[in-house]
Amino acid sequence: MEAILEHGALTVALTGHIDSSNAPAAEAELMAIRDREPHEAMVLDLKDLTYISSAGLRIVLRLRKLEPELKLVNASAEVYEILDMTGFTEMMPVEKAYRTISIEGCEVIGRGANGTVYRIDQDTVVKVYRSQDCLPDVQRERELARKAFVLGIPTAIPYDVVRVGDSFGSVFELLNSRSFSKLIAANPQDMDHYVGLYVDLMQKIHATHVKEGDLPSIRSFADSCVLYAKKELPEALGAKVEAMVNAIPDTDTMLHGDFHTNNIVMQNDEVLILDMDTLCVGHPIFELGSMYMAFVGFGELDPTVPEAFLKLPYAVTTSIWEKTLLRYASGDEALAARTGDRARIICYLRLLRRSLRRGGRDNPESRAWIELCLTRLTELLPRVDALYE
Amino acid sequence: MTITKEAAGTALTLSLQGRLDTNTAPQLEAALKDALSGVTALTLDFEGLEYISSAGLRVLLSAQKVMKKQGTMVIRHVNPTIMEVFEVTGFSDFLTIE
Repeated sequence: MEAILEHGALTVALTGHIDSSNAPAAEAELMAIRDREPHEAMVLDLKDLTYISSAGLRIVLRLRKLEPELKLVNASAEVYEILDMTGFTEMMPVEKAYRTISIEGCEVIGRGANGTVYRIDQDTVVKVYRSQDCLPDVQRERELARKAFVLGIPTAIPYDVVRVGDSFGSVFELLNSRSFSKLIAANPQDMDHYVGLYVDLMQKIHATHVKEGDLPSIRSFADSCVLYAKKELPEALGAKVEAMVNAIPDTDTMLHGDFHTNNIVMQNDEVLILDMDTLCVGHPIFELGSMYMAFVGFGELDPTVPEAFLKLPYAVTTSIWEKTLLRYASGDEALAARTGDRARIICYLRLLRRSLRRGGRDNPESRAWIELCLTRLTELLPRVDALYE
Repeated sequence: MTITKEAAGTALTLSLQGRLDTNTAPQLEAALKDALSGVTALTLDFEGLEYISSAGLRVLLSAQKVMKKQGTMVIRHVNPTIMEVFEVTGFSDFLTIE
């Protein structure tokens, strides 16, 4: 019987077929390991367990009396079914083994920063992550997508997490859709229509209330941006921006966090949203700040940056931003102008933080960004007195 | 997808056959929109349903919202594949499935 002690948790592997013929020997061995290795918690790894009879289940029950926090992991579908039917899954934590799938010969339908998306069958795709230590990120993204889905946000169904070779992947529903970036590129005359749908979805997200603790808050990120800005700005402006960011109300409404036209797609007449890994809660001004960044801000030093990312001319991405802003302000031009200034401040605070963390002044590119952000903030901050309406 | 309606007083049963996906979800949405007024017990019979997509789940979500205000909504005869979808999405936590 293999045993591993890690961070106080003793993991013992049960293997093969456990029934009345070998249960007493297995129990004796298990208890001997338990007595030998001092530990705080115990886990049974069922990866190589093919069958367990009632005699085997009784060992688990006796062990649990001694180890109230006992957890079972890596149960195969067959073993999980036995544990489920006998009520064990309600008595103690039981984790299923990840299904293993092969992507050999599967069509690649997208490549992103963190991984590649493959089509597995008629109805599903798998997003395979590049890094081997990605499991926490995969589980996190899946959990966020699941919360959004249940709250009524139109997105693809997040199915299970699977093992793919040495890495992990997330299985999603296959959408037969086109991104808004592609739709606007193909039908520039319909831009107002698409912007209308885009803003409707954004307002739906910003009107979705989230139970406390269900999603991370944007607040700690905002605080971090302020800390960087205070080091770089003249004292009075640093203090002003700190006070203004602190005054933004912590609303309990959802933010997507990466709401640009590559992530918004259309399937038949339905508008859907992808990529839930930046989902959080907070005031909508933070969403508008990140949108300004995607459509305009990233292009302020070099317009080809947003052009390459969104596959649209800079004049078009700038126009999407302006139309979005006006529509979001229900046509009120003065309100749109105020909101635009606020969004730009949020954008430059983010870009400043990012440039200071990536390269700082030693790197010519990030130095240029730092200078640009400071120039813009020095111009904007004196004439803006609040970051929300 | 085929939808069969059966009404008895304020009880309504809709039996679905085929695939509830992005192409057919609007059909169910329309059927519910027309029929839910005054209904206090809605039953969705999934015996003949083979597949459900996110578009289908969203229709269930909005039907559930309506029925929560005016009565009950029960889903019957869910096959294992669709049950798995309800479980992984967390829908099984708030739908009444028999």
